[in-house]
Amino acid sequence: MEFIASLLNSMPGAAAQGLAWGIMAIGVYITYKILDIADLTVDGSIGTGAAVCVVLTVNGVPVWAAMLCAVLAGVLAGVVTGLFHTVCGIPAILSGILTQLALYSINLRTMGWGTGGGKPNLPVSVDKYDLLVTARYVRDLALRNPLIPLAALTVVVIALLYWFFGTELGCSLRATGANGNMARAQGINTNWCKVLGLMVSNGLVALAGALLAQYQGFSDVNMGRGAIVIGLAAVIIGEVLFSKVFRNFALKLLACVFGAVIYYIVIQVVLRLGLSTDDLKLLTALVVALFLAVPHWKARYFSKAVVPAQKGGSAHA
Amino acid sequence: MKKLSKLMAPALSLALALSLAACSGGDAPSQNSASPAGNSAPGGDAAGDGKYAIGICQLAPHPALDAATQGFKDALVEKLGEGNVEFKEGNASGDSSLCPTIIDGFVAQKVDLILANATAPLQAAASATSDIPVLGTSVTDYATALEIDNWNGTVGTNVSGTSDLAPLDQQAAMIQEVFPEAKTVGMLYCSGEPNSVYQCDVIEGYLKEMGYETKRFAFNDTNDVASVAQTACDGSDVIYIPTDNTAADNTEAIANVVLPAKVPVMAGEEGICKGCGVVTLTIDYYDIGYMAGEMAYDILVNGADVSTMAVKSAPEVVKKYNAANCEALGITVPEGYEATGE
Repeated sequence: MEFIASLLNSMPGAAAQGLAWGIMAIGVYITYKILDIADLTVDGSIGTGAAVCVVLTVNGVPVWAAMLCAVLAGVLAGVVTGLFHTVCGIPAILSGILTQLALYSINLRTMGWGTGGGKPNLPVSVDKYDLLVTARYVRDLALRNPLIPLAALTVVVIALLYWFFGTELGCSLRATGANGNMARAQGINTNWCKVLGLMVSNGLVALAGALLAQYQGFSDVNMGRGAIVIGLAAVIIGEVLFSKVFRNFALKLLACVFGAVIYYIVIQVVLRLGLSTDDLKLLTALVVALFLAVPHWKARYFSKAVVPAQKGGSAHA
Repeated sequence: MKKLSKLMAPALSLALALSLAACSGGDAPSQNSASPAGNSAPGGDAAGDGKYAIGICQLAPHPALDAATQGFKDALVEKLGEGNVEFKEGNASGDSSLCPTIIDGFVAQKVDLILANATAPLQAAASATSDIPVLGTSVTDYATALEIDNWNGTVGTNVSGTSDLAPLDQQAAMIQEVFPEAKTVGMLYCSGEPNSVYQCDVIEGYLKEMGYETKRFAFNDTNDVASVAQTACDGSDVIYIPTDNTAADNTEAIANVVLPAKVPVMAGEEGICKGCGVVTLTIDYYDIGYMAGEMAYDILVNGADVSTMAVKSAPEVVKKYNAANCEALGITVPEGYEATGE
């Protein structure tokens, strides 16, 4: 019973981390699912968002403005990856890796802003700054509970994206991912759409980074390591579990957030069950691989054989 | 069939998770056993089980950090007795974003005290709780880690602990003592480690006062250690390596560069000195862990107030030399140096 009680007690923390990573997962959804690009920039841009947000906050900028700048910095990272891919003709996955690598140096420099050198870690204490979210109050029944702003931000992000992907520009972005050749034939500038998608995605990832840095009380140059896997895990868990129920686009985005929350709940449970954290990355990789494989196996081994059309003209018509 | 496979997806993954958990459950202290939840001071009363629950969050598997954790545990087991204290350990495997997850688990389990081994766990713990006492260890500079402006030796909140900072002025003096002829000191460290950057900042000041020219050679990760070390050899007479975790993991790679180049390395800790160094002025990580354990005992049993406890440094420092490397480079160390162990 005590085990259950303490597990329940850790749920708010898992939910808060899940919500922050959920916004990041929505970013991954945009590139991975909509644009059909595996964008590895996110491992860097999550740290960029954190670094920009923290460095501005400790220099006296209000938190909301610092977060806005963090998003803009993420958007810029997306532009760089996009230009590498479209203007320089570098394969998408390599463009992301290059930007991610470059961002390591940029994040060091960003956190060392004003000191003349790089800095790998920058603390931001809730005792000194008016942070939007912090792990400190996650179990408080009060307005300062980080779950409230996190949930509100998630709703705002989903609403904005729902609106955006309904506009002409948003539709052309979706068309680019669905069928690039067809989209081009319709007069869509697919290169611009790819850059735009990467901008939106990395802006969201940077926002998640800014939230996470505030939540954990520091930004660290290594905090983005393996972020893409967590993002993908959230997207895929959300899709596998909710794809039959959630048909609407906004709900599909919500499924990513649920996926991230579930991911963090599972992590808490397995840690509590005594899994050594040394094995955690193996577990994550296996879970993601499994969730990726299941739809494939389903299509391959459990689908009905295609029945030739019965009525109408013959095949030789 | 379709229905079946749909059910199988979550079921399989859960089974996988559980089996992995079961495999590794053996060596970790049973996390699911009853802990004195909701009881911040069990005090060994006969009614409850009277056990103290301690959460230990360590940044990465690493010999120095492992030694500090071991020292902490030994101190508490020795003072409280076997079976009166339960350790819940989480190792972030070098992934700083895992620290808040681990710490949050401790807070949810209402542990009596948290040991944060290294900077990122300390920051995550300080952010996650203002009630549960947090002790740090292997943290070099608490003022930098927690952004304290007027550092007076005490954090003043629920945080205290022990520092792994070796006296850098004495390290600088040691460079002067062993390498009086040298003109340029190259500093080799990982740009991603706050502790290393801090030590280089400080020792650079001392070295400049002594008239040395200093140059910085920072590598980013394991992959560019060798090439940066090569550049460092080309540009310096002596290389200084602080207590850098990445360097500690790559001493072989560094040794393969610096020994052929005949450039001696002064190391910030013994592990690096054993691998690729010539001399070191070292602290014992086991000692600082043990000291943190003693502080934990004071807090848990004697009711000491963590907010008034000053951050402590290593009790003693030892001058050591690596006999094999000294011989290879033709360096004779002055009196008073101990040989490093194998």
